Amino acid sequence: MPDIWGQAAVATKFLLYLGVLTSAGLILCRQVFSEQLAGLDRFLRAWAVFFALLAATMSFLGFAVRGAVLMDDASGMTDLAILALLWETPPGDALLLRLLGLGALLTGVVLGGRWLWVALLGSFLAIWSFCEIGHVASEDRLWFQSVLFGHLIVAAFWIGVLLPLHKLSGSADTLRVAAVLGHRFGQVASVAVPLLLLAGVVMTWRLVGSLPALLGTAYGLTLLAKIAVVTLLLALAAINKTRLVPALQSGDPKAGPHLARSISLEWVCIGVILLATAVFTSILTVPS
Amino acid sequence: MIYRVALTIFLALTSAQALAHSEKESMTPADGAILDAVPETIGLRFNDGMRLTKVEMTHAETHTEALDLGTQSGFVKEFSLPLTPMGPGMYHIEWRGLGVDGHPMNGVFSFEVK
Repeated sequence: MPDIWGQAAVATKFLLYLGVLTSAGLILCRQVFSEQLAGLDRFLRAWAVFFALLAATMSFLGFAVRGAVLMDDASGMTDLAILALLWETPPGDALLLRLLGLGALLTGVVLGGRWLWVALLGSFLAIWSFCEIGHVASEDRLWFQSVLFGHLIVAAFWIGVLLPLHKLSGSADTLRVAAVLGHRFGQVASVAVPLLLLAGVVMTWRLVGSLPALLGTAYGLTLLAKIAVVTLLLALAAINKTRLVPALQSGDPKAGPHLARSISLEWVCIGVILLATAVFTSILTVPS
Repeated sequence: MIYRVALTIFLALTSAQALAHSEKESMTPADGAILDAVPETIGLRFNDGMRLTKVEMTHAETHTEALDLGTQSGFVKEFSLPLTPMGPGMYHIEWRGLGVDGHPMNGVFSFEVK
């Protein structure tokens, strides 16, 4: 079991992933489904601000926790020499990119309107910051970083639709809009999700390298746990697409609550997936 | 399904040996070595550049002290640190450092002086 600083590193990374991907996903969905989500503009922007602030806070805290990990003591969080040393390495570059991206995101969201495109660019920058650090970046290949970027963009898109879809399916007055949004998301997802899975397979192949490494290392086991929950998430998404959204489109009044419940389960799955990812990007060694 | 996933994650976490990432490294004296006299220095050699941030020596599970890391500049692959002679017994060394790629790393090794 990792020590307290290892656990703190995992916790801050988990909340960072949640903050960046949800805020970016909300903006991405707001722009892609602008017609369906125009009525939820303030709702979406408020949540985007919340998650972007969470991400910014966790960016600082996570950086400081690295200092504590290095010194095995809380003093490392405020040790200027240690933090300056970290700043010179990829975590420093990633922090700068992430904060610039989140700053643009927040500016665009607060100003609204056409500025949402600035927020979208900021979202992309914040997501790219994950490609500048860690196991993928250490391969030092642009195509590999781009695979991770695509993987994260689709993941953010998926996460970003959950809040508005849950909100719309929770009220009888907005079930029609929920049906259209669910249908349109399903159309985009039928192309995007296979790409997300393909990107996941490519990264697994590059980072893990072999079946024994997948089955016989902590990294591989955590990855398998993530894949198991992704499978569950895909099953929920399939039920939504093939049963619940069509039921919404046909005007079934029970479909809204069922969809809302299914989305809540999707949130649980996404939480576990992000936690598993935080574990193997924070404290585990790449087998290959 | 959820039980199996939780169990798998638990097993993965509890089997994780390192708090941070670790790399192949060689230590002098070697882990598990038995020596006739206390060495004046310990050596740490890494595959890639490293900046040590903390190295502690524990003697006979009773006395712990931080080793002097000296003045470090940049990321290097080899370190030689002076060791305070504490007489016969087990010497347990725990190190932490920052890899050139920004990964926090750590490791432990022990040797015995007869």
